[in-house]
Amino acid sequence: MNYSCHSFRRKLLVTAVSLVIPVTVNAESSNADLQQQLDALQNQVTALNSEVQQAAEWKNPNTLVHMAGYADVGFISTENANDSFVAGTFAPILHYQYRDAVMMEAELEFEVGEDGGTEVALEYMTIDWFMSDYAVLVAGKFLSPVGQFRQNLHPSWINKLASAPPGFGHDGAAPVSDLGFQLRGGFPLGNMRANYAVYASNGPEINSEAESDDATGVVGYELDGVAAEGFGADVDGEKTWGGRIGILPIASVEIGLSLATGMATVTNVEGNEQLFNDKIVGPLSGETARDYDVIGADFVWLTGNMSLRGEYVKTEVGEATTGVTASEAAEWTTWYTQAAYRLPNTKWEGVLRYTDYDSPHASVDQKQTAIGVNYLVSNNFMVKLTHELNDGLDGANSDIDRTLLQLAYGF
Amino acid sequence: MKYLNNAICKSALFTVFILFSSGLLITAQAADFPQAGNFSKGSKVWADNCNRCHNMRGPKELRDDQWISTAFHMRVRAGLTGQETRDLISFLQASNTKSVASGSAQITAVLSKGVTAKETYDKTCIACHGGDGKGAFPGTPDFTSSDGALSKSDSVLIDHITNGFQSEGSPMAMPPKGGNPNLSAADISAVLKYIRETFEK
Repeated sequence: MNYSCHSFRRKLLVTAVSLVIPVTVNAESSNADLQQQLDALQNQVTALNSEVQQAAEWKNPNTLVHMAGYADVGFISTENANDSFVAGTFAPILHYQYRDAVMMEAELEFEVGEDGGTEVALEYMTIDWFMSDYAVLVAGKFLSPVGQFRQNLHPSWINKLASAPPGFGHDGAAPVSDLGFQLRGGFPLGNMRANYAVYASNGPEINSEAESDDATGVVGYELDGVAAEGFGADVDGEKTWGGRIGILPIASVEIGLSLATGMATVTNVEGNEQLFNDKIVGPLSGETARDYDVIGADFVWLTGNMSLRGEYVKTEVGEATTGVTASEAAEWTTWYTQAAYRLPNTKWEGVLRYTDYDSPHASVDQKQTAIGVNYLVSNNFMVKLTHELNDGLDGANSDIDRTLLQLAYGF
Repeated sequence: MKYLNNAICKSALFTVFILFSSGLLITAQAADFPQAGNFSKGSKVWADNCNRCHNMRGPKELRDDQWISTAFHMRVRAGLTGQETRDLISFLQASNTKSVASGSAQITAVLSKGVTAKETYDKTCIACHGGDGKGAFPGTPDFTSSDGALSKSDSVLIDHITNGFQSEGSPMAMPPKGGNPNLSAADISAVLKYIRETFEK
């Protein structure tokens, strides 16, 4: 009995051990698997967390790099001349910003010339210091704040016609750009809003034209144009002052007044190869600085699907009684008014603009009526068809009508 | 004249230097960047200013960081104040993402509690649709037109408001919930009812 009892216990123990060992082994194995999966999961979470943090770095870094700009291509049909496809302009704008303190802005302008070469220009390059909520110091080469067209409307994806109004291009009545310091910003004015820009700059240089009297052989001079395109040095040491104030009595209306004053000197003479070897760049000996004054006014009114805008600019250069190119005073005046209407619930837009440009030279004076039809593929990509009815001196380029097709893309 | 001109120039530069030095022109930089702005005011800044020069650019066209540089660029161009710029960035950054079903219906309900339909319209919708319902800029649907947007059924319009919608001829799409993620389903139904009662002919 005792033997059998011991024997039974021994068998029971052996049986129990033989049952428990596999279970324990299985449990240890399952725990190890779970631990392994947990570790793998932990690693994945850690990696994911790292990726999220890296993504957040891209979202809100202290330094931001950004590129915007615009480009246009098209086709020009000119009365009595060959039609041409044109590459237009590629104008990238680079922004390099540090927090809300400073931003470097630069716009390059690439154009394909008639000879197939590429022309590059620095349209503007400024360091913008955001000093307070109401003041930004814009230093460097900047677009002229006189009026609205040059500083805000000239990019092809913004301009509702395929060409600039006469007098608002290079050597026109409106200054293009300048180089110096500018303070600008906006502020509330009771229930209205206002914006301002004041600047000091190197100012423009003046082009003169030499003409020889066929009868007497005497060479005379007259002012040819004002080159207001942001010169990198002030060759005559005379600074120019200017600015613009804009008032918005209601959100859909802005009225602006502009002013610039200073002195400018003839640095370039064209038209007499014997005397000046066709073209001289730089200060001419003994030239007198002349008074230089610009006044301008502009408005915009948005009502429903219609936008109305207009702008007037007058540039005056005083006389000089001494110096090689001594000549009388001269003035350049241009104004335009433009209406654009977007057909309701469509992507079609009609545009009508009238411009009157007067200069000291009858050959470039021009009255232009421009009619445009635009198709807005998207809000920043439009196809523009513009027809210019130009009225100028008979036989001059200013009298030739043109039709322009343009694809303009702002990015 | 030359002496006078240069004397004015130097005097002005000296004056500006004094202003800088005294801190009258310069404000200390904020610790947070970008500083939070006001969504509703930002939508108004966007609607009031952008199409004065160019066609409206929709919030979805750019990422959050791209909107920051773009807004600062436009601050210089359009003469915006610093506060208007912050408000504008807040609006654009909140409006360029798809509506996210975050399971935060309860939070949304709390955030939007007590806001009337008119207040919702004035804060979220008015920037684009205007105070008169005719649209604040070209291409926006005219609520007062008998065959316009309000001729559609409530279920269609609620879907458009909730998920965003691009109207034909509009320069940009309406962002989901008008760009205001705090709107609840009840808010959307209420504001649609308000729009119908106020503008529908």
